Amino acid sequence: MGAGTRRQRIDLLGALLLVLVLAGLAFGLPAIDRALPSQRPVSSEVPYPVGGGVTVLPPAGATIDLTGTRPAEAQGMVLFRLGTVRYSIIVQPYAGTLAAAADRLRRRITGTPGYQVTGTQRTVATTAGLQGVQGGYTAPGRGGRYTVFVDRGRSIEVTVSGGELDLGRSLPEIDASTRTLSYAAGEK
Amino acid sequence: MIAPVQPGWHGALTRTPAFWVVSGLLVAGAIRIAVLGGQFVAAYPKATLTATALFALLAVPFWLFIADLDFLEPEPLAMQALAFAWGALVATSASIPASVALDDLIAKLGSPGLAADWGAALAGPTVEEIAKTLGILAIVLIARPQINSVLDGVVYGAMVGLGFQITEDIVYALGAVALAGRGDSVQPVIATFLLRGFLSGVWSHTLFGALAGAGIGYLVVRRDKTTLVRVGVALLAALGAWCSHVLWNAPIFGDGLGNGGLALLAVLVFKALPPLLLILLLVRAAHDREADYYTGKLSALRDPSLITEGELAVLRSGPRRAQARRHARLRGGLKAQAAVRRLQRAQARLAVELSRAQQEGIRPSERWCEDVREQRAILATFGLPEATVPADGTGAWRRRAETVLAIAVAIAVLWVALTALGGS
Repeated sequence: MGAGTRRQRIDLLGALLLVLVLAGLAFGLPAIDRALPSQRPVSSEVPYPVGGGVTVLPPAGATIDLTGTRPAEAQGMVLFRLGTVRYSIIVQPYAGTLAAAADRLRRRITGTPGYQVTGTQRTVATTAGLQGVQGGYTAPGRGGRYTVFVDRGRSIEVTVSGGELDLGRSLPEIDASTRTLSYAAGEK
Repeated sequence: MIAPVQPGWHGALTRTPAFWVVSGLLVAGAIRIAVLGGQFVAAYPKATLTATALFALLAVPFWLFIADLDFLEPEPLAMQALAFAWGALVATSASIPASVALDDLIAKLGSPGLAADWGAALAGPTVEEIAKTLGILAIVLIARPQINSVLDGVVYGAMVGLGFQITEDIVYALGAVALAGRGDSVQPVIATFLLRGFLSGVWSHTLFGALAGAGIGYLVVRRDKTTLVRVGVALLAALGAWCSHVLWNAPIFGDGLGNGGLALLAVLVFKALPPLLLILLLVRAAHDREADYYTGKLSALRDPSLITEGELAVLRSGPRRAQARRHARLRGGLKAQAAVRRLQRAQARLAVELSRAQQEGIRPSERWCEDVREQRAILATFGLPEATVPADGTGAWRRRAETVLAIAVAIAVLWVALTALGGS
């Protein structure tokens, strides 16, 4: 009986250690992550590498959100924040047309409950000559805009979202930034 | 060293505190995965159903293969299911938020570029290998007497890995559906099934789990070694699993070999072959050790009605057991093949019972001997007095033809997968 009780205690201790390590993974790591600041200041005068050879000049006053920024060689993404406004650029290898890429992004946006595309699309171009299409969308309490470019076997998806008031204030800066999207020198 | 089988765990299972703790974790994991699954079902019902069905079907042959690794002393189905459920429900539930957090920490403490290049290679393996290894330790806590050999650790580790892999594959498939932006489409599910199910199906989580399991098996069983050695080997095996996983996720050879199908195949083989060979060698060594132990018990009986000299040699080796069954099929069809399998199972059960009886200091029940004799009598009706492989090589050409055919089918499946992925 005594030995059994001791074995059960050791067994329980082992099981609790197991729970502790598991909780450390599932809750401890995210807590540490949340405790560290995720935003860093970024210069609006130096081109920022988005990934896949694409660069952009960040909007003035923007910070980089490190949880949504992953610039890599073949693809990548960057997430800027201007107050409550999110300004995201995603570069991916893509073999389709501009219309198909825009349709894919629209479907992803409207796939989120409550999100609706508004108005018609218009064509846009960057100062480096990238041709794209732009449209708007709404969500409960938020507004948004998307822009898509397809060039050199890659799609560049730009989405901007935020509260209507903040969005209206930030859009001129963001538009100016989006127009600076280009491929780095030597990128094919 | 093979520890004798210790009976009686069935009755004591619910009296172990670990059983209830682990049950609680399984319920929590199941709820978390069910919530995630519910979101997928709401957004993509057809794709979710297809992904679940395809990957569940894929799990069946893997499960049977893993369970059959320990033919002589098979693990209880309930424990196999528990290991699978830990991987599928608990390890995945913990790993999803933890991997994201660790990836973010790499970006915050290092740089976003470092996280983009090495985040998946460092965060995923670190979190997932710990979460899976905890599952093997949970099995040890609940049913320690069932861990009798290093091979048992391999089986439980592989089962945990298989469960993890199936859930992860389903989540990846539905992530691909969301990314494709074509609504409730099945095509991304099929592509993910080919890529993750076949190309990385053999040598990813199942293999890493098996490697870590071998270490835990060694830690539990090899009481003839010092604690330092046993813990060292267990840590080394866990490190091996982590390194294999890091290698698998690492962004090396991404572009160096081009983008064609053959290049992709070469990358897969380069990254997959080292852990695959390592675990095959480990399984072989662990199996041989266990086989020597159990066939030694049968050999001591010196009763040809229970096992002949030829059958001892066959029972000791997995390929020879399979050869004996194939030989029987050639001689007497599928029923003869099944008869050989049943005889081999009966002989293995007898060996385990002999070990169990020795442990308890009692005489083994005659029932197990009768079972073997009964199966031998059935086999004799097919004109086969014993379950052996002919020494003259009869049927060898057919075996070779079957092997070549199996390899050809495997290569064809790989090519279909590579073509579907756009390789050339």
